[in-house]
Amino acid sequence: MILRKSILRTIKEKKFQYIGVVFLLVLAVTLYTSLSMAISTLDQRNRIFKNDYKQETFHFMTREPLKNSQLQELESEYDVTLEERRFQDLDIDQDAVLRLFNTSEEVNVPFVSQGVMPQGKNEIALAKVFAEQHGYEIGDSITLAGTKAEVTGYVYLPDYIYMIQQQSDLLSNPDQFGFGITSKETLVNIQGEEQIQVIGWSETNSVPEGMRASVNEKSTLLQFVGHEDNARIQFVENEIEGAQTTITTLPLFVLALSIAMVLLLMKRRLDLQRKEIGTLMAIGYRKNELIRHYLGYAWFVGLSGTVLGTLAGIGLSIPLSNLYAQFFNLPSLSLFDWDPMVLVLGVATPLGLLLVLTFIVIWRALKVDPLTLLRPKEMATGKKSWLEKLPVLNSGNFIKRFRLRLMVRSKWRSFYIFLGVMFSTVLLFFGLIMFNSMDRLVETTYEEIYTYDYAIHYKTLMTDTDETKDGISPYTSSEVEVTTENDTNKALIYGIEPGTEYLNLSSEGEKLNDRLSEGAVLSKPLAAILGVSEEDEITLTNSLNDEKRTIEVAGIADVFIGTSIYLPKSEVNEFLGFPGNAYTSIWQGQKPKMNENIFMIEDKQKVIESFESNSGATKSSVIGMAVFAVIIGVIVLTLLTNLIVEENSPSISLFKVMGYHDKEVSKLVLSVYTPVVMLSFFASIPLAVLSLEGTMNSLVKETGFLMPTEVSWWMVLIGFSVITLTYALSLTLSKQKLKKVSLQEALKKQQD
Amino acid sequence: MTINVENVTKTYESGEVTIHALREATLKIPDHKIVTILGPSGSGKSTLLNVIGGIDRFDSGTLVVAGQQLEFLKDHQLTDFRRKYAGFIFQQYNLIPTLTVQENVEVGRELSENPLDMKSMLEKVGMYDKKDKFPYQLSGGEQQRVAIARALIKNPQFLLCDEPTGALDEVTGKKILRLLKYVNEEFGTTVLIITHNHGIGAMAHKIIKMSSGSIVESFDNESPVDPEKVTWA
Repeated sequence: MILRKSILRTIKEKKFQYIGVVFLLVLAVTLYTSLSMAISTLDQRNRIFKNDYKQETFHFMTREPLKNSQLQELESEYDVTLEERRFQDLDIDQDAVLRLFNTSEEVNVPFVSQGVMPQGKNEIALAKVFAEQHGYEIGDSITLAGTKAEVTGYVYLPDYIYMIQQQSDLLSNPDQFGFGITSKETLVNIQGEEQIQVIGWSETNSVPEGMRASVNEKSTLLQFVGHEDNARIQFVENEIEGAQTTITTLPLFVLALSIAMVLLLMKRRLDLQRKEIGTLMAIGYRKNELIRHYLGYAWFVGLSGTVLGTLAGIGLSIPLSNLYAQFFNLPSLSLFDWDPMVLVLGVATPLGLLLVLTFIVIWRALKVDPLTLLRPKEMATGKKSWLEKLPVLNSGNFIKRFRLRLMVRSKWRSFYIFLGVMFSTVLLFFGLIMFNSMDRLVETTYEEIYTYDYAIHYKTLMTDTDETKDGISPYTSSEVEVTTENDTNKALIYGIEPGTEYLNLSSEGEKLNDRLSEGAVLSKPLAAILGVSEEDEITLTNSLNDEKRTIEVAGIADVFIGTSIYLPKSEVNEFLGFPGNAYTSIWQGQKPKMNENIFMIEDKQKVIESFESNSGATKSSVIGMAVFAVIIGVIVLTLLTNLIVEENSPSISLFKVMGYHDKEVSKLVLSVYTPVVMLSFFASIPLAVLSLEGTMNSLVKETGFLMPTEVSWWMVLIGFSVITLTYALSLTLSKQKLKKVSLQEALKKQQD
Repeated sequence: MTINVENVTKTYESGEVTIHALREATLKIPDHKIVTILGPSGSGKSTLLNVIGGIDRFDSGTLVVAGQQLEFLKDHQLTDFRRKYAGFIFQQYNLIPTLTVQENVEVGRELSENPLDMKSMLEKVGMYDKKDKFPYQLSGGEQQRVAIARALIKNPQFLLCDEPTGALDEVTGKKILRLLKYVNEEFGTTVLIITHNHGIGAMAHKIIKMSSGSIVESFDNESPVDPEKVTWA
């Protein structure tokens, strides 16, 4: 159809508008494709690694190691595969800890990505990111507790995908912690505290019922972790699951903005060309031919946006996948490890939506008969909307009336600006709140509430009073089940001395330690998971003996990490069936020395440092979000103001003819939407808080932490400045267009 | 082909007022003739042209064009009718600004199963040399020539011209009239011209006069004059 030529010429003539919408679409598709490809790569690698390398279903540690005969007994009774695995935590490079395992053969089978499996004496393979971080290459030698060993390869372990030292750790930091594997003989020869764990695999991927109690009967359980509670395994699954929301929500919103803009442009084009359409209809063009012709604009925007977006997305997915590889130790097990459906969806969804919605707009416009289209629009409709009839629009001076009318005449445009500014504001505040919340989280949880420096966990139940001297605060902790009216969840119960100097439970500055006599104090994530607040009741069940106890929630502390319940130690000991003076762990200010009774030492400073080392990444992502918000804002606002100038060019020209200066005309026409921008900005702040809270709450069960979502005055100030500057920039760009409107424009329009 | 209009009535509402655009209009237009419809603004001449061309509906009466009874045709059938038989020329030319002269004519050519030759058509309307120009680069008269070529290229049986010289000066207007006469003679196309310029009636084979929606006079002109001799009002 010859008419097609006019499409390309129109696009060339209005290049700014079309480049703008194509760019929005490219952004949407790039976001979707890159995130989806990175996540599907992660998912695919995780699934293959998990299945082919027999990721554990559970692992446990007992006070006395189980004998082979006992393990075989359990294997046949519960139809599971069990394997004993030994490990040592070794200090290397001053501040780092290397967890060195012996090579397992049946469960958590290691995968060596480069080099070879360590087989000879004093050979080890290291986790790749850890080796890279510490500068170890294959063939290098490494000193482990006085023993020199050679690095033979880089290794991945299916139960250390998220490489954290303690299950309670939030952030993986290869600078501080990593793992390696070696032969049993080498491990035995290294001087250090060797620990033994049993790793288990079940075909059903669930812990057989009664097994836990059965193990406990054979030897006291120190730790039993199912795969669903294992942060090193679960974190990647949570990331994959949680990312689905981001993958779809963010691109969908940008896509919506892009499609809405195309529809606005299409409507404008159809309005502008109504006489042309009428002529074409009059000379015999059929509606379907005209629909096909006008759909050409949507095809152009859709195809160029999706193709460019997909290409950019594929390109961006590579650094994103590499970034994920820094966090998750997943080997690349196949060449093609992403889902091709991502590309199909990335192209088909925006293109399909764009075409269908544009079709509706065109179809509605072409419902009118040719004769009506041949007449000028004012004659065809000529009616004022009810909004225009409002008395407020008919009072005041001319400038006020003109501006208000312009605003209400294009309600959809006001709405579009509102949405665009809202999107930018919410994005900006997401970044600002998250940036602040990392600091707040460390400040409140690790500095104001956890005032200890070290937490020492023992292998056995302690009653030794020597340990409870000055500067030391003993406590009891154990896993329990918490039941509310709606749900049952696992949590960690802490029996503490209410007067302890190492745990200052508080909520917004109010001390809660004294309330422990009235009931339990919960951490924020647990309260969110259970959906409880103060004065609600919860029921605790001792996992080992099924004993239950119902208690009242006395307070919810500003502890943002972990699903914890705090109660007086005596009460917890009684509930768990321990002697009154028993404890499982202590908090202290001094650095402890490792001894045979100690199961694990937690160094709070390392946790804080780990957070701080990650703040660089957070800062970068905040800057990224801000830049993205500004880009979206500038495009949306400039496109709209540009369209307003174009639509009102006869009036602008007339104002100029009458002697108005550009500045005055700009005030009349361009800055009309300032109240909408301001309204949208302020309305979006609570929306950002609510949606971030909603996102955090929806993920809290999987992640076990909540981010404080407070808005400070400085955030409002920064946000306001960014949005105002964005708006000012778009106005400046549109003013250039306004200046170009010629004085003849009014005359030309009248001739038409 | 004969255009047969019998008792055609058309009213429409404008606010609270009912306007009788056509009151039982009756006329016959023979094939291969030039017919002018004269009358002041609001006399119903445009409405008559529009209903004959199938771009407007009427309330009652019978209208047969090219053997088709238009009141019985559905919208898509009316489109096919226009596509096959009618050519339209408008006072404001209505060219597509983003297409060149040749491309604008191509727009009409695409609709026809047996279109005329593009080059000779452009030559006949005197626009071949400017075939690559865009409408904004042309004068009013040139634009109207392109519009005529666009209407003619599909080889329609009748040409409906709504004030074709209304926006032109006398010299240019007469050139357009000469072109219309040439079309009528060369292709045998029936040409219906609406005008409030009574002088143009002199070049027609048949003259219809309208007032307040009624045909008040209809007569054959035995000796049509050359467009050059038309008195310009």
